[in-house]
Amino acid sequence: MRTITALWLRNIRGFVRDRVKLITSLIIPFFFLYIFRSIFKTDQVEDPTAFLLAGIIVATVFQTSLNIATSTIDDTVSGYMKEILVSPTSRFQVALGQILSAATIATTQGILILIIGFFTGLSFDHWYTFIYVLLILMLVGLVFSGLGLFLASMVKSSSTFQVVQQAVVLPFTFLSGAYIPLAFLPNVLRSFAYFNPMTYTTAIFRTIMLEKGGLTQTEWVELGLAFDLNGFIITPWMSGIIIIAFGALFLFLATNAFVRADFNKISRSPGES
Amino acid sequence: MKSIIEVRNYTKKYGDFTAVDDVSFEVEEGSIFAFLGPNGAGKSTTINTLCTMMEKTAGTLLIDGKDVSTEKDAVRQAIGVVFQSQTLDEKMTVSENLKMHCVFYGVPKKEVKDRINFVLDLVDLVDWQNKSVSSLSGGMKRRVEIARALLHYPKVLFLDEPTTGLDPQTRNRMWEYITRLQKEKNITIFLTTHYMDEAEICDKVAIMDDGKIMVNDTPENLKRLYTKDKAIVQVSNSDLFEAALNRDEHTYKRDKETFYIDIDSIQHFLEFIEPFKNEINNLEIKKGTLNDVFLEITGKEIREESAQ
Repeated sequence: MRTITALWLRNIRGFVRDRVKLITSLIIPFFFLYIFRSIFKTDQVEDPTAFLLAGIIVATVFQTSLNIATSTIDDTVSGYMKEILVSPTSRFQVALGQILSAATIATTQGILILIIGFFTGLSFDHWYTFIYVLLILMLVGLVFSGLGLFLASMVKSSSTFQVVQQAVVLPFTFLSGAYIPLAFLPNVLRSFAYFNPMTYTTAIFRTIMLEKGGLTQTEWVELGLAFDLNGFIITPWMSGIIIIAFGALFLFLATNAFVRADFNKISRSPGES
Repeated sequence: MKSIIEVRNYTKKYGDFTAVDDVSFEVEEGSIFAFLGPNGAGKSTTINTLCTMMEKTAGTLLIDGKDVSTEKDAVRQAIGVVFQSQTLDEKMTVSENLKMHCVFYGVPKKEVKDRINFVLDLVDLVDWQNKSVSSLSGGMKRRVEIARALLHYPKVLFLDEPTTGLDPQTRNRMWEYITRLQKEKNITIFLTTHYMDEAEICDKVAIMDDGKIMVNDTPENLKRLYTKDKAIVQVSNSDLFEAALNRDEHTYKRDKETFYIDIDSIQHFLEFIEPFKNEINNLEIKKGTLNDVFLEITGKEIREESAQ
């Protein structure tokens, strides 16, 4: 337990100390908001800013969660992972510490964007929406930190990882409806989107943040919050369950892979050992 | 004396390549043990296996009676490791790094502060504890690493090239710390080094080459067994001197006007050189060094290797 809290604190501290990263990660979402708002003008949605902002928040939380992989690989390359792994502390706790801190950082960023969003005209009808948003963001953070740690444990070098990260981030965000509604995608890409956990993450998050929980199935499908698969409607609540299932799978894979990973193989110089 | 490290018939293979081949040795508790060998001899592989970071292919490796493969956590608790490459968290301060170590090794919370002061005092870095690691010099970082490795009071301290890349002054200081630790705390020190003068200070020296341990003895014995004293002589009439050397069946090397002569017996050599005493321009007797031992055993000069 001490290892989990200590690692959590260490990673949070590292995040807070890196001001440049923090500030750019807050500016970029609004840059996206600006761009996509000007491209995507629709009559379907009464408040496109809030609609897009929800997608941007969820995409940011997703991408920030995946940074756990970068920071884990950085720790390996800098040698610090060796110090951790040669100690008698449990690797399971190390994995949990990493995942929890990444999820915390990701959630915090999502909330910060949301707060800035309030100043740009976003508002909730019910105060408790904020609590739901917070809870669902934590869930999203956990799910994708798990995925990130899994990727980090599988990769053999940091340069391979950059390629893998691009290969994951781009399709996951752009084929999820977060930035571009799925209705705008060609059929082939849309069927890919149905295999993307981010699609369901975006759907449930948007439903909650835009307070659309009380709509009918047809209205959900129209807004892209539910999906019509040959007559079978995946409601936002089902999306939520799908995400929890993905999360359980990722967390299981991640802790397993991390406990077994041979971090000796990721070395900073080819000649060493 | 009790053996704190016991290695029996240890073999490590990478596919078809045998990195360590049926090696056995022991290290006495409280001693300083130097592990030498050219790069690629299998030193790091052996250290990594002893530190539980790598699985063996065959054999038994015990530290303080605990098996490195089956009792990993007990072994990890009993050892402190300073790796060849730096393993500090550069973004954190010195004391934050040390605190994390205490967490990983389960040092009781109320002792953490005292222990940090104690180890920092040992390496003269108490005033630096709140500085960020990235602001320290290379030598200071090494000292922090040594201090950190001692926080959980290990029985064996592994130092993989602790002084490589440090200036002579810092190297000397580092050795003061190492010997002080051994004497005051009775910690067993297992180290690798490329500097032969450092190996000289150790109680035992093992030389590894091609995955095997070639010798394992005290520096004195090694020098006695594997080296000869050498005379370096310059005379005015080199050709005449060389003829005399051949007549007397000496083993020697000639480099232009300088002769390098192996000395079997000092008396005999003095008698031989007596007739030339008025022609000698320069005479130097050199004692055998560990470097000569190393050369003799591995056929490689260690300095060339360390230059990589």
